[in-house]
Amino acid sequence: MRRAASLFRYLCITLICILCLIPFLVLLILSLNTPKRVFYEGNIFIPDFYFYNYIEGWFKSNICTAMINSALITIMALCVIILLGAMAAYTIARFNYRFNKLIFGILISCMMIPGIINTVPLYTLMIDLKAINTLWGMALVCATNALPQSVFVFHGFIRSLPKELEESAIMDGCSWFSSFWRIIFPLLKPSVSAIVILNGFGIWNNYSQAVFFLQDRRKHNVPQALSVYFQQFAGAKWNLMAATAVIAIVPVILAFLLFQKNLIKGLTDGALKG
Amino acid sequence: MREKKIGLHTFMALPAFALFSVFFLYPLMKGIGMSLTDWDGIRQANFVGLNNFIAFFQDDRALNNIRTTLLFAIGSAPLLNIVGLGYALLMDSKIKGKGMARMIIYLPAIISPLIMGYIWYLLLQPGRGFLYHVLDNMGKASWFGNWTAGYATSMLVLVLVNVWQYAGMTMVIYLAGLQAIPGELYEAAKMDGASSLGRFRFVTIPLLIPSIRINVVTNIIGSLSVFDIVMSLTGGGPGYSTETLSIYIMRMCYGSKTGYSTAVAIIMFFIILVPVLISMRMTRAKAMD
Repeated sequence: MRRAASLFRYLCITLICILCLIPFLVLLILSLNTPKRVFYEGNIFIPDFYFYNYIEGWFKSNICTAMINSALITIMALCVIILLGAMAAYTIARFNYRFNKLIFGILISCMMIPGIINTVPLYTLMIDLKAINTLWGMALVCATNALPQSVFVFHGFIRSLPKELEESAIMDGCSWFSSFWRIIFPLLKPSVSAIVILNGFGIWNNYSQAVFFLQDRRKHNVPQALSVYFQQFAGAKWNLMAATAVIAIVPVILAFLLFQKNLIKGLTDGALKG
Repeated sequence: MREKKIGLHTFMALPAFALFSVFFLYPLMKGIGMSLTDWDGIRQANFVGLNNFIAFFQDDRALNNIRTTLLFAIGSAPLLNIVGLGYALLMDSKIKGKGMARMIIYLPAIISPLIMGYIWYLLLQPGRGFLYHVLDNMGKASWFGNWTAGYATSMLVLVLVNVWQYAGMTMVIYLAGLQAIPGELYEAAKMDGASSLGRFRFVTIPLLIPSIRINVVTNIIGSLSVFDIVMSLTGGGPGYSTETLSIYIMRMCYGSKTGYSTAVAIIMFFIILVPVLISMRMTRAKAMD
Protein backbone atom coordinates (compact mmCIF):
# COMPACT_ATOMS: atom_id res chain seq x y z
CA MET A 1 0.00 0.00 0.00
CA ARG A 2 2.71 2.43 1.06
CA ARG A 3 4.94 1.31 -1.82
CA ALA A 4 2.14 1.83 -4.31
CA ALA A 5 1.51 5.31 -2.94
CA SER A 6 5.15 6.31 -3.26
CA LEU A 7 5.32 4.85 -6.77
CA PHE A 8 2.26 6.90 -7.69
CA ARG A 9 3.94 10.00 -6.27
CA TYR A 10 7.07 9.43 -8.38
CA LEU A 11 4.94 8.86 -11.46
CA CYS A 12 3.03 12.12 -10.94
CA ILE A 13 6.19 14.15 -10.38
CA THR A 14 7.84 12.65 -13.46
CA LEU A 15 4.81 13.51 -15.58
CA ILE A 16 4.74 17.07 -14.25
CA CYS A 17 8.45 17.48 -15.04
CA ILE A 18 7.93 16.19 -18.57
CA LEU A 19 5.02 18.58 -19.01
CA CYS A 20 7.26 21.44 -17.90
CA LEU A 21 10.08 20.48 -20.24
CA ILE A 22 8.13 19.66 -23.44
CA PRO A 23 7.90 23.23 -24.77
CA PHE A 24 11.65 23.68 -24.25
CA LEU A 25 12.40 20.45 -26.09
CA VAL A 26 10.11 21.37 -28.98
CA LEU A 27 11.82 24.76 -29.19
CA LEU A 28 15.21 23.06 -29.32
CA ILE A 29 14.07 20.64 -32.04
CA LEU A 30 12.57 23.44 -34.13
CA SER A 31 15.72 25.53 -33.80
CA LEU A 32 17.83 22.74 -35.28
CA ASN A 33 15.73 22.09 -38.39
CA THR A 34 16.68 23.30 -41.87
CA PRO A 35 14.55 26.13 -43.30
CA LYS A 36 13.10 23.74 -45.89
CA ARG A 37 11.71 21.41 -43.29
CA VAL A 38 8.55 23.33 -42.52
CA PHE A 39 6.37 20.29 -42.20
CA TYR A 40 7.78 17.58 -40.07
CA GLU A 41 8.69 14.79 -42.42
CA GLY A 42 9.95 11.57 -40.93
CA ASN A 43 10.48 11.42 -37.21
CA ILE A 44 9.38 14.74 -35.76
CA PHE A 45 11.46 14.21 -32.64
CA ILE A 46 14.79 14.04 -34.51
CA PRO A 47 15.96 17.42 -35.84
CA ASP A 48 18.38 18.04 -38.71
CA PHE A 49 21.09 19.50 -36.44
CA TYR A 50 21.30 22.55 -38.67
CA PHE A 51 23.25 24.98 -36.47
CA TYR A 52 23.37 27.72 -39.08
CA ASN A 53 19.99 28.94 -37.70
CA TYR A 54 21.78 30.18 -34.61
CA ILE A 55 24.35 32.17 -36.60
CA GLU A 56 21.65 33.70 -38.79
CA GLY A 57 19.41 34.46 -35.81
CA TRP A 58 22.29 36.09 -33.93
CA PHE A 59 23.31 38.39 -36.79
CA LYS A 60 19.92 39.21 -38.30
CA SER A 61 18.10 39.99 -35.08
CA ASN A 62 18.95 42.64 -32.53
CA ILE A 63 19.45 40.04 -29.83
CA CYS A 64 23.09 40.81 -28.98
CA THR A 65 22.48 44.52 -28.27
CA ALA A 66 19.25 43.62 -26.50
CA MET A 67 20.97 41.20 -24.13
CA ILE A 68 23.58 43.85 -23.24
CA ASN A 69 20.78 46.38 -22.65
CA SER A 70 18.77 43.97 -20.51
CA ALA A 71 21.87 43.05 -18.50
CA LEU A 72 22.80 46.70 -17.85
CA ILE A 73 19.22 47.62 -16.88
CA THR A 74 18.97 44.63 -14.54
CA ILE A 75 22.31 45.30 -12.83
CA MET A 76 21.67 49.03 -12.37
CA ALA A 77 18.14 48.45 -11.07
CA LEU A 78 19.21 45.74 -8.63
CA CYS A 79 22.00 47.97 -7.22
CA VAL A 80 19.51 50.77 -6.61
CA ILE A 81 16.94 48.41 -5.05
CA ILE A 82 19.47 46.81 -2.71
CA LEU A 83 21.28 49.98 -1.59
CA LEU A 84 18.27 52.27 -1.16
CA GLY A 85 15.99 49.46 0.05
CA ALA A 86 18.40 48.24 2.74
CA MET A 87 19.13 51.78 3.97
CA ALA A 88 15.45 52.64 4.25
CA ALA A 89 14.58 49.30 5.87
CA TYR A 90 17.33 49.79 8.46
CA THR A 91 16.17 53.11 9.80
CA ILE A 92 12.52 51.98 9.67
CA ALA A 93 13.31 48.78 11.56
CA ARG A 94 15.51 50.45 14.20
CA PHE A 95 14.11 53.94 14.82
CA ASN A 96 10.51 54.72 15.60
CA TYR A 97 10.36 58.17 14.01
CA ARG A 98 6.93 59.24 12.92
CA PHE A 99 8.01 59.92 9.32
CA ASN A 100 9.70 56.52 9.13
CA LYS A 101 6.34 54.94 9.97
CA LEU A 102 4.65 57.14 7.40
CA ILE A 103 7.13 56.20 4.66
CA PHE A 104 6.80 52.52 5.49
CA GLY A 105 3.01 52.75 5.42
CA ILE A 106 3.01 54.45 2.02
CA LEU A 107 5.45 51.93 0.55
CA ILE A 108 3.52 48.92 1.86
CA SER A 109 0.16 50.14 0.61
CA CYS A 110 1.64 50.84 -2.84
CA MET A 111 2.97 47.26 -3.00
CA MET A 112 -0.47 46.27 -4.29
CA ILE A 113 -0.37 48.61 -7.30
CA PRO A 114 1.02 47.04 -10.46
CA GLY A 115 3.36 49.23 -12.52
CA ILE A 116 1.06 49.34 -15.55
CA ILE A 117 -1.41 51.57 -13.65
CA ASN A 118 0.76 54.69 -13.74
CA THR A 119 2.74 53.95 -16.86
CA VAL A 120 1.04 56.61 -19.00
CA PRO A 121 1.62 59.59 -16.67
CA LEU A 122 5.09 58.19 -16.00
CA TYR A 123 5.68 58.26 -19.74
CA THR A 124 5.04 62.01 -19.88
CA LEU A 125 7.30 62.52 -16.86
CA MET A 126 10.05 60.48 -18.53
CA ILE A 127 9.83 62.74 -21.60
CA ASP A 128 10.24 65.81 -19.38
CA LEU A 129 13.23 64.23 -17.63
CA LYS A 130 14.76 63.24 -21.00
CA ALA A 131 14.78 59.68 -19.64
CA ILE A 132 12.93 58.11 -22.58
CA ASN A 133 15.08 55.64 -24.52
CA THR A 134 17.77 55.63 -21.85
CA LEU A 135 18.88 52.56 -19.98
CA TRP A 136 19.20 54.49 -16.69
CA GLY A 137 15.63 55.73 -17.00
CA MET A 138 14.28 52.25 -17.53
CA ALA A 139 16.47 50.95 -14.66
CA LEU A 140 15.06 53.59 -12.28
CA VAL A 141 11.47 52.72 -13.29
CA CYS A 142 12.10 49.01 -12.69
CA ALA A 143 13.84 49.77 -9.39
CA THR A 144 10.93 51.90 -8.20
CA ASN A 145 8.44 49.12 -8.96
CA ALA A 146 10.45 46.67 -6.85
CA LEU A 147 11.36 49.07 -4.03
CA PRO A 148 8.34 48.52 -1.69
CA GLN A 149 8.76 44.75 -1.72
CA SER A 150 12.51 44.99 -1.08
CA VAL A 151 12.02 47.38 1.87
CA PHE A 152 9.44 44.92 3.21
CA VAL A 153 11.80 41.94 2.91
CA PHE A 154 14.85 43.78 4.34
CA HIS A 155 12.72 45.22 7.15
CA GLY A 156 11.57 41.76 8.24
CA PHE A 157 15.11 40.45 8.19
CA ILE A 158 16.74 43.39 10.02
CA ARG A 159 14.12 43.22 12.79
CA SER A 160 15.15 39.63 13.43
CA LEU A 161 18.77 40.76 14.03
CA PRO A 162 19.59 41.66 17.68
CA LYS A 163 20.26 45.32 18.39
CA GLU A 164 23.34 44.44 20.44
CA LEU A 165 25.15 43.88 17.16
CA GLU A 166 25.57 47.60 16.57
CA GLU A 167 25.35 48.82 20.15
CA SER A 168 28.92 47.91 21.08
CA ALA A 169 30.15 49.73 18.00
CA ILE A 170 28.08 52.77 18.98
CA MET A 171 29.73 52.69 22.44
CA ASP A 172 33.09 52.89 20.72
CA GLY A 173 32.01 56.07 19.02
CA CYS A 174 30.91 54.71 15.69
CA SER A 175 27.83 56.42 14.22
CA TRP A 176 24.62 54.48 13.54
CA PHE A 177 25.03 55.26 9.86
CA SER A 178 28.47 53.76 9.52
CA SER A 179 27.70 50.85 11.84
CA PHE A 180 24.90 49.97 9.42
CA TRP A 181 27.33 49.74 6.54
CA ARG A 182 30.02 47.95 8.54
CA ILE A 183 27.97 45.53 10.61
CA ILE A 184 24.41 45.08 9.33
CA PHE A 185 24.75 45.41 5.56
CA PRO A 186 27.18 42.46 5.21
CA LEU A 187 24.68 40.28 7.14
CA LEU A 188 21.87 40.91 4.65
CA LYS A 189 23.07 38.31 2.12
CA PRO A 190 20.03 35.96 2.37
CA SER A 191 17.62 38.83 1.81
CA VAL A 192 19.76 40.19 -1.01
CA SER A 193 19.66 36.86 -2.82
CA ALA A 194 15.89 36.60 -2.34
CA ILE A 195 15.46 40.09 -3.77
CA VAL A 196 17.80 39.40 -6.69
CA ILE A 197 15.86 36.26 -7.60
CA LEU A 198 12.39 37.70 -7.04
CA ASN A 199 13.08 40.82 -9.10
CA GLY A 200 16.06 40.12 -11.35
CA PHE A 201 14.26 37.86 -13.84
CA GLY A 202 11.23 40.15 -13.89
CA ILE A 203 13.39 43.17 -14.76
CA TRP A 204 15.29 41.25 -17.45
CA ASN A 205 11.94 40.12 -18.92
CA ASN A 206 10.07 43.42 -18.52
CA TYR A 207 7.97 44.01 -21.61
CA SER A 208 4.84 45.95 -20.62
CA GLN A 209 6.85 49.04 -19.62
CA ALA A 210 9.74 48.63 -22.05
CA VAL A 211 7.15 49.05 -24.81
CA PHE A 212 6.66 52.62 -23.54
CA PHE A 213 10.10 53.67 -22.37
CA LEU A 214 12.49 51.97 -24.80
CA GLN A 215 11.12 52.66 -28.26
CA ASP A 216 14.46 53.25 -30.00
CA ARG A 217 15.57 50.02 -31.66
CA ARG A 218 19.10 50.38 -30.29
CA LYS A 219 17.74 50.51 -26.73
CA HIS A 220 15.38 47.52 -27.03
CA ASN A 221 15.57 44.87 -24.33
CA VAL A 222 15.33 41.12 -24.90
CA PRO A 223 11.52 40.64 -25.09
CA GLN A 224 11.20 43.65 -27.38
CA ALA A 225 13.97 42.52 -29.72
CA LEU A 226 12.34 39.10 -29.99
CA SER A 227 8.85 40.44 -30.57
CA VAL A 228 10.10 42.79 -33.32
CA TYR A 229 12.08 39.96 -34.91
CA PHE A 230 9.14 37.54 -34.71
CA GLN A 231 6.59 39.97 -36.07
CA GLN A 232 8.58 40.57 -39.24
CA PHE A 233 8.21 36.90 -40.21
CA ALA A 234 4.44 36.78 -39.60
CA GLY A 235 4.38 33.09 -38.80
CA ALA A 236 7.08 31.90 -41.21
CA LYS A 237 10.76 30.92 -40.65
CA TRP A 238 10.06 29.12 -37.41
CA ASN A 239 13.49 27.60 -37.28
CA LEU A 240 15.06 31.07 -37.09
CA MET A 241 12.53 32.26 -34.51
CA ALA A 242 13.17 29.19 -32.40
CA ALA A 243 16.96 29.54 -32.61
CA THR A 244 16.82 33.20 -31.56
CA ALA A 245 14.50 32.34 -28.68
CA VAL A 246 16.96 29.68 -27.52
CA ILE A 247 19.78 32.26 -27.62
CA ALA A 248 17.65 34.60 -25.48
CA ILE A 249 16.73 31.89 -22.97
CA VAL A 250 20.23 30.43 -22.42
CA PRO A 251 21.66 33.25 -20.23
CA VAL A 252 18.49 33.25 -18.10
CA ILE A 253 18.72 29.51 -17.52
CA LEU A 254 22.44 29.79 -16.69
CA ALA A 255 21.74 32.54 -14.14
CA PHE A 256 18.93 30.44 -12.70
CA LEU A 257 21.18 27.40 -12.31
CA LEU A 258 23.71 29.61 -10.57
CA PHE A 259 21.23 31.08 -8.07
CA GLN A 260 18.64 28.31 -7.73
CA LYS A 261 20.19 26.83 -4.59
CA ASN A 262 19.62 30.15 -2.86
CA LEU A 263 16.15 30.51 -4.35
CA ILE A 264 14.27 28.26 -1.95
CA LYS A 265 16.35 29.38 1.03
CA GLY A 266 16.08 33.02 0.05
CA LEU A 267 12.32 32.73 -0.38
CA THR A 268 11.88 30.92 2.94
CA ASP A 269 14.10 33.29 4.93
CA GLY A 270 13.22 36.49 3.18
CA ALA A 271 9.77 36.53 1.68
CA LEU A 272 7.81 34.30 4.03
CA LYS A 273 9.25 35.40 7.35
CA GLY A 274 9.43 39.04 6.34
CA MET B 1 16.58 52.95 25.81
CA ARG B 2 19.69 54.72 24.66
CA GLU B 3 19.34 58.29 23.65
CA LYS B 4 19.39 58.62 19.89
CA LYS B 5 20.77 61.82 18.51
CA ILE B 6 19.79 63.12 15.14
CA GLY B 7 22.34 61.94 12.63
CA LEU B 8 22.67 60.51 9.17
CA HIS B 9 20.69 57.47 10.30
CA THR B 10 17.64 59.68 10.76
CA PHE B 11 17.45 60.39 7.06
CA MET B 12 18.30 56.97 5.64
CA ALA B 13 14.80 56.34 4.33
CA LEU B 14 14.79 59.57 2.35
CA PRO B 15 16.70 58.46 -0.80
CA ALA B 16 14.31 55.54 -1.28
CA PHE B 17 11.32 57.75 -0.59
CA ALA B 18 12.59 60.43 -2.99
CA LEU B 19 12.97 57.90 -5.81
CA PHE B 20 9.56 56.47 -5.02
CA SER B 21 7.95 59.88 -4.96
CA VAL B 22 9.37 60.93 -8.33
CA PHE B 23 8.72 57.70 -10.24
CA PHE B 24 5.60 56.42 -8.50
CA LEU B 25 3.64 58.83 -6.29
CA TYR B 26 3.97 61.87 -8.55
CA PRO B 27 2.84 59.98 -11.71
CA LEU B 28 0.00 58.44 -9.70
CA MET B 29 -1.27 61.90 -8.70
CA LYS B 30 -0.63 63.29 -12.16
CA GLY B 31 -2.62 60.40 -13.63
CA ILE B 32 -5.68 61.34 -11.60
CA GLY B 33 -5.47 64.86 -13.01
CA MET B 34 -4.87 63.62 -16.57
CA SER B 35 -7.86 61.29 -16.40
CA LEU B 36 -10.13 64.33 -16.19
CA THR B 37 -8.84 65.82 -19.45
CA ASP B 38 -9.12 65.07 -23.16
CA TRP B 39 -5.33 65.26 -23.62
CA ASP B 40 -4.02 63.55 -26.76
CA GLY B 41 -0.36 63.68 -25.76
CA ILE B 42 0.56 66.76 -27.83
CA ARG B 43 -1.98 69.56 -27.87
CA GLN B 44 -3.41 71.64 -25.04
CA ALA B 45 -5.47 69.54 -22.63
CA ASN B 46 -9.04 70.57 -21.82
CA PHE B 47 -10.83 69.69 -18.61
CA VAL B 48 -13.70 67.33 -19.42
CA GLY B 49 -14.75 66.21 -15.95
CA LEU B 50 -15.80 62.58 -15.73
CA ASN B 51 -16.43 62.23 -19.47
CA ASN B 52 -13.59 59.70 -19.91
CA PHE B 53 -15.11 57.45 -17.25
CA ILE B 54 -18.56 57.75 -18.82
CA ALA B 55 -17.10 57.01 -22.26
CA PHE B 56 -15.38 53.92 -20.87
CA PHE B 57 -18.62 52.40 -19.64
CA GLN B 58 -20.33 53.15 -22.95
CA ASP B 59 -17.60 51.52 -25.05
CA ASP B 60 -18.33 47.90 -25.97
CA ARG B 61 -14.65 47.16 -26.53
CA ALA B 62 -13.77 48.44 -23.05
CA LEU B 63 -16.57 46.48 -21.38
CA ASN B 64 -15.47 43.36 -23.21
CA ASN B 65 -11.92 44.00 -21.95
CA ILE B 66 -13.22 44.02 -18.39
CA ARG B 67 -15.02 40.74 -19.03
CA THR B 68 -11.89 39.17 -20.55
CA THR B 69 -9.63 40.41 -17.75
CA LEU B 70 -12.00 39.15 -15.05
CA LEU B 71 -12.55 35.80 -16.80
CA PHE B 72 -8.81 35.33 -17.12
CA ALA B 73 -8.30 36.10 -13.43
CA ILE B 74 -11.23 33.92 -12.30
CA GLY B 75 -9.74 31.06 -14.29
CA SER B 76 -6.07 31.69 -13.46
CA ALA B 77 -5.84 32.73 -9.82
CA PRO B 78 -7.76 29.80 -8.21
CA LEU B 79 -6.33 27.23 -10.62
CA LEU B 80 -2.77 28.45 -9.99
CA ASN B 81 -3.29 28.04 -6.25
CA ILE B 82 -4.89 24.61 -6.54
CA VAL B 83 -2.23 23.30 -8.92
CA GLY B 84 0.60 24.94 -6.98
CA LEU B 85 -0.64 23.49 -3.69
CA GLY B 86 -1.11 20.08 -5.33
CA TYR B 87 2.46 20.14 -6.63
CA ALA B 88 3.75 21.25 -3.22
CA LEU B 89 1.90 18.42 -1.42
CA LEU B 90 3.36 15.93 -3.90
CA MET B 91 6.85 17.30 -3.36
CA ASP B 92 6.66 17.64 0.44
CA SER B 93 8.08 14.26 1.35
CA LYS B 94 11.41 12.53 1.44
CA ILE B 95 11.87 11.54 -2.18
CA LYS B 96 14.92 11.19 -4.37
CA GLY B 97 15.61 13.86 -6.96
CA LYS B 98 13.39 16.37 -5.21
CA GLY B 99 15.76 19.30 -5.79
CA MET B 100 16.01 18.47 -9.49
CA ALA B 101 12.21 18.18 -9.88
CA ARG B 102 11.66 21.45 -8.01
CA MET B 103 14.12 23.18 -10.32
CA ILE B 104 12.45 21.82 -13.46
CA ILE B 105 8.97 22.79 -12.30
CA TYR B 106 10.16 26.30 -11.44
CA LEU B 107 12.00 26.70 -14.75
CA PRO B 108 9.08 28.06 -16.87
CA ALA B 109 8.54 30.91 -14.38
CA ILE B 110 11.91 32.53 -15.07
CA ILE B 111 11.36 32.78 -18.83
CA SER B 112 9.75 35.92 -20.22
CA PRO B 113 5.99 35.29 -20.57
CA LEU B 114 6.26 36.95 -23.96
CA ILE B 115 8.71 34.29 -25.18
CA MET B 116 6.56 31.60 -23.53
CA GLY B 117 3.57 32.84 -25.49
CA TYR B 118 5.53 32.56 -28.74
CA ILE B 119 6.69 29.05 -27.88
CA TRP B 120 3.12 27.93 -27.19
CA TYR B 121 2.04 29.61 -30.39
CA LEU B 122 4.58 27.48 -32.28
CA LEU B 123 3.15 24.42 -30.53
CA LEU B 124 -0.52 25.18 -31.06
CA GLN B 125 -0.68 26.88 -34.45
CA PRO B 126 -3.40 25.28 -36.58
CA GLY B 127 -2.25 23.08 -39.46
CA ARG B 128 1.46 23.66 -38.85
CA GLY B 129 1.97 23.53 -35.10
CA PHE B 130 3.95 20.84 -33.38
CA LEU B 131 0.95 19.37 -31.59
CA TYR B 132 -0.94 19.08 -34.88
CA HIS B 133 1.88 17.01 -36.34
CA VAL B 134 2.09 14.75 -33.32
CA LEU B 135 -1.65 14.10 -33.59
CA ASP B 136 -1.39 13.76 -37.37
CA ASN B 137 1.33 11.12 -37.05
CA MET B 138 -0.95 9.21 -34.71
CA GLY B 139 -3.75 9.46 -37.25
CA LYS B 140 -5.82 11.65 -34.94
CA ALA B 141 -5.54 14.97 -36.79
CA SER B 142 -9.26 15.56 -36.31
CA TRP B 143 -8.65 15.94 -32.56
CA PHE B 144 -6.84 19.15 -33.25
CA GLY B 145 -8.90 22.31 -33.18
CA ASN B 146 -8.08 25.85 -34.18
CA TRP B 147 -7.94 26.82 -30.53
CA THR B 148 -6.52 30.32 -30.79
CA ALA B 149 -9.25 31.38 -33.25
CA GLY B 150 -12.31 31.18 -30.99
CA TYR B 151 -12.98 33.27 -27.89
CA ALA B 152 -13.76 30.48 -25.43
CA THR B 153 -10.91 28.23 -26.51
CA SER B 154 -8.34 31.02 -26.71
CA MET B 155 -9.28 32.14 -23.19
CA LEU B 156 -8.83 28.56 -22.06
CA VAL B 157 -5.42 28.37 -23.77
CA LEU B 158 -4.32 31.66 -22.15
CA VAL B 159 -5.38 30.48 -18.69
CA LEU B 160 -3.76 27.07 -19.07
CA VAL B 161 -0.49 28.46 -20.42
CA ASN B 162 -0.37 30.98 -17.57
CA VAL B 163 -1.05 28.27 -14.99
CA TRP B 164 1.53 26.03 -16.63
CA GLN B 165 4.12 28.80 -16.46
CA TYR B 166 3.60 30.05 -12.89
CA ALA B 167 2.51 26.87 -11.03
CA GLY B 168 6.17 26.38 -10.06
CA MET B 169 6.39 29.79 -8.42
CA THR B 170 3.20 29.18 -6.43
CA MET B 171 4.48 25.71 -5.53
CA VAL B 172 7.75 27.03 -4.10
CA ILE B 173 5.95 29.40 -1.72
CA TYR B 174 3.56 26.64 -0.58
CA LEU B 175 6.52 24.29 -0.17
CA ALA B 176 8.30 26.79 2.06
CA GLY B 177 5.10 27.09 4.11
CA LEU B 178 4.63 23.31 4.36
CA GLN B 179 8.19 22.80 5.54
CA ALA B 180 7.64 25.28 8.35
CA ILE B 181 4.82 23.15 9.85
CA PRO B 182 6.24 21.12 12.77
CA GLY B 183 5.81 17.36 12.37
CA GLU B 184 4.63 16.96 15.99
CA LEU B 185 1.36 18.66 15.10
CA TYR B 186 0.55 15.89 12.62
CA GLU B 187 1.51 13.28 15.19
CA ALA B 188 -0.78 14.87 17.78
CA ALA B 189 -3.66 15.03 15.33
CA LYS B 190 -3.08 11.38 14.44
CA MET B 191 -3.22 10.44 18.13
CA ASP B 192 -6.54 12.24 18.40
CA GLY B 193 -7.80 10.01 15.60
CA ALA B 194 -7.90 12.57 12.81
CA SER B 195 -8.07 11.08 9.31
CA SER B 196 -5.56 12.24 6.71
CA LEU B 197 -8.26 14.47 5.22
CA GLY B 198 -8.99 15.86 8.68
CA ARG B 199 -5.30 16.53 9.27
CA PHE B 200 -5.14 18.41 5.98
CA ARG B 201 -8.24 20.45 6.82
CA PHE B 202 -7.44 21.25 10.45
CA VAL B 203 -3.62 21.25 10.58
CA THR B 204 -2.19 21.95 7.13
CA ILE B 205 -4.59 24.60 5.84
CA PRO B 206 -4.70 26.82 8.96
CA LEU B 207 -0.90 26.80 9.25
CA LEU B 208 -0.48 27.53 5.56
CA ILE B 209 -2.41 30.81 5.83
CA PRO B 210 0.68 33.06 5.40
CA SER B 211 1.64 31.23 2.17
CA ILE B 212 -1.96 31.21 0.96
CA ARG B 213 -2.15 34.94 1.55
CA ILE B 214 1.03 35.71 -0.42
CA ASN B 215 0.02 33.42 -3.27
CA VAL B 216 -3.59 34.55 -3.54
CA VAL B 217 -2.72 38.24 -3.47
CA THR B 218 0.17 38.02 -5.96
CA ASN B 219 -1.87 35.80 -8.30
CA ILE B 220 -4.83 38.17 -8.23
CA ILE B 221 -2.61 41.16 -9.01
CA GLY B 222 -0.63 39.26 -11.65
CA SER B 223 -3.63 37.84 -13.49
CA LEU B 224 -5.65 41.07 -13.46
CA SER B 225 -2.73 43.00 -14.97
CA VAL B 226 -1.77 40.31 -17.50
CA PHE B 227 -0.04 41.71 -20.58
CA ASP B 228 2.87 39.80 -22.17
CA ILE B 229 1.36 36.39 -22.70
CA VAL B 230 -1.79 37.76 -24.32
CA MET B 231 0.32 39.95 -26.62
CA SER B 232 2.32 37.02 -27.95
CA LEU B 233 -0.31 34.24 -27.94
CA THR B 234 -3.39 35.96 -29.33
CA GLY B 235 -2.36 39.62 -29.71
CA GLY B 236 -5.73 40.41 -28.13
CA GLY B 237 -7.50 38.68 -31.00
CA PRO B 238 -9.59 37.39 -32.64
CA GLY B 239 -10.68 40.99 -33.17
CA TYR B 240 -10.39 42.65 -29.77
CA SER B 241 -12.05 39.75 -27.95
CA THR B 242 -9.12 38.61 -25.78
CA GLU B 243 -7.69 42.09 -25.28
CA THR B 244 -7.09 42.79 -21.59
CA LEU B 245 -7.28 46.12 -19.78
CA SER B 246 -3.50 46.57 -19.62
CA ILE B 247 -3.20 46.10 -23.40
CA TYR B 248 -6.13 48.48 -23.91
CA ILE B 249 -4.30 51.13 -21.83
CA MET B 250 -1.21 50.83 -24.01
CA ARG B 251 -3.17 50.94 -27.27
CA MET B 252 -5.24 53.93 -26.18
CA CYS B 253 -2.09 55.78 -25.15
CA TYR B 254 -0.50 55.09 -28.54
CA GLY B 255 -3.80 55.99 -30.19
CA SER B 256 -3.43 59.59 -28.91
CA LYS B 257 -6.08 59.10 -26.21
CA THR B 258 -3.67 59.79 -23.37
CA GLY B 259 -6.24 61.30 -20.99
CA TYR B 260 -8.67 58.46 -21.61
CA SER B 261 -6.01 55.79 -21.06
CA THR B 262 -5.20 57.19 -17.59
CA ALA B 263 -8.91 57.00 -16.75
CA VAL B 264 -8.86 53.33 -17.77
CA ALA B 265 -5.83 52.82 -15.50
CA ILE B 266 -7.74 54.28 -12.54
CA ILE B 267 -10.70 51.97 -13.24
CA MET B 268 -8.27 49.06 -13.44
CA PHE B 269 -6.76 50.11 -10.10
CA PHE B 270 -10.14 49.66 -8.38
CA ILE B 271 -10.79 46.39 -10.20
CA ILE B 272 -7.55 45.07 -8.65
CA LEU B 273 -7.95 46.73 -5.24
CA VAL B 274 -11.36 45.23 -4.38
CA PRO B 275 -10.49 41.49 -4.68
CA VAL B 276 -7.08 42.09 -3.06
CA LEU B 277 -8.61 43.76 -0.01
CA ILE B 278 -11.31 41.08 0.25
CA SER B 279 -8.80 38.23 0.09
CA MET B 280 -6.51 39.95 2.59
CA ARG B 281 -9.37 40.43 5.03
CA MET B 282 -10.47 36.80 4.61
CA THR B 283 -6.99 35.40 5.27
CA ARG B 284 -6.56 37.73 8.25
CA ALA B 285 -9.79 36.54 9.88
CA LYS B 286 -8.81 32.91 9.32
CA ALA B 287 -5.39 33.45 10.86
CA MET B 288 -7.04 34.50 14.14
CA ASP B 289 -8.84 31.15 14.60
